[in-house]
Amino acid sequence: MVKARISSIQLFLLFIGFLYGSTVIVNSALGAKNDAWLAILLGGTVGGLLVGVYVSVAYLNPSKTLVEILKERLGNVMGNIISIMYVWYFIHLAALVFRNFGEFIIVVTYQETPISIVIAIFAAIMVYAVNSGVEVIGRLSELFVPVLPFTVLIICMAVITTHDFTAFSPILENGIKPVLKAAFSFITFPFGESVAFLMLFPHLNKKENLKKIAVLSIISMIALSLLLFFRDIIVLGSEVIYQATFVPHLTELLFPGISVEQLVDINLLIGGEVKVSICIYAAVRALSQVAGIDDYRNLTTAITTFCVVLSLWIYENVLEMLNWAEKVWPYYSIFFQIIVPLLLLFLSFIKKNKSSKSTSSNAISSS
Amino acid sequence: MIIILAVFLILVLYDLQMFIREKAQIRVYIIYGFLMTVSLVVSLLIVAGKRPASPAQWIEALFKTAGVIK
Repeated sequence: MVKARISSIQLFLLFIGFLYGSTVIVNSALGAKNDAWLAILLGGTVGGLLVGVYVSVAYLNPSKTLVEILKERLGNVMGNIISIMYVWYFIHLAALVFRNFGEFIIVVTYQETPISIVIAIFAAIMVYAVNSGVEVIGRLSELFVPVLPFTVLIICMAVITTHDFTAFSPILENGIKPVLKAAFSFITFPFGESVAFLMLFPHLNKKENLKKIAVLSIISMIALSLLLFFRDIIVLGSEVIYQATFVPHLTELLFPGISVEQLVDINLLIGGEVKVSICIYAAVRALSQVAGIDDYRNLTTAITTFCVVLSLWIYENVLEMLNWAEKVWPYYSIFFQIIVPLLLLFLSFIKKNKSSKSTSSNAISSS
Repeated sequence: MIIILAVFLILVLYDLQMFIREKAQIRVYIIYGFLMTVSLVVSLLIVAGKRPASPAQWIEALFKTAGVIK
């Protein structure tokens, strides 16, 4: 039985913070160069449908977390095995965001500070947030996430004087293939990653608002991504944004007169905080449900410590990280983001149809 | 290396006293012990300059073997 509750607005802001997360520094759609806006629109639409699958799974299994749904639909053994794989996936995702965050901070802001120190300090805050519960994470998002669109708008307005609107043309110069590839990357990162929300949906106080929240979040995310892309391309041009490691940092360096670097740091801190806290919360809750542990807080420190070590272990340098995120991550995520949720949706539909048929036949026989 | 050992010692001692006070289940000790041991061993290996092959490399090798990526 879930006791902690979050409001619709808190879930909406958590969704925005999560989707925006590390997208502020690593935009997977940029692989399509000047056609990235097409990839964002296409990937965003299909990504929205994917989030719709997660929402439908949550609707068909009310008040149940991902682990409980897996156990109920696939049986205890298979359910537990796939749940453990999801625990790994959430830990891996948290480690990736930690590393993105750490790399950006040490490359851009604190060049002399070791990455382990930056990530460890960030992790200590995450442990506190996750141990305080989902309600506190929700309230934090209510407080900080509204800052995100404002900072994006401020940076966009500052760039008004530096622009080249011909940077978008010619459209589809390299054909449709790079656009489809970038769109696929954009589906798996960030939309598909929101499968972690299946551990959070049972906490929503008004379940009937779930669809509305998901639709609004997706539209807002697509709008924010387009805004970021247009800002970057009119300042830098398509070739530079394709080759740059941290595109927003390069954009802000070209601003005449003012320094808005801190605004990107703020964006990353808020988005990263929301994303990592949700991933760690999902991993800890899932593991404690699999192992039958009463209080999930007992495992928070261990899992966060493992995430920190994994984030330092997993890649040797920033280029390896970006290369892996672009080439391997989309295929690695298919099982967790598409196959299992679709299977759960299918099984939930069958179960629902069976139960509705048996109810109607009982009603007929009793009458 | 000493700093890493000290950090892990502080973390474990802090959590251990909480587990004893709250009479945590035996499973908590097992999972906690496993995760902290793996984290400590990997950290020490990284610090010693003997970084083991990472899970990202295992996953990439798996996909290459399966022919999913080139």
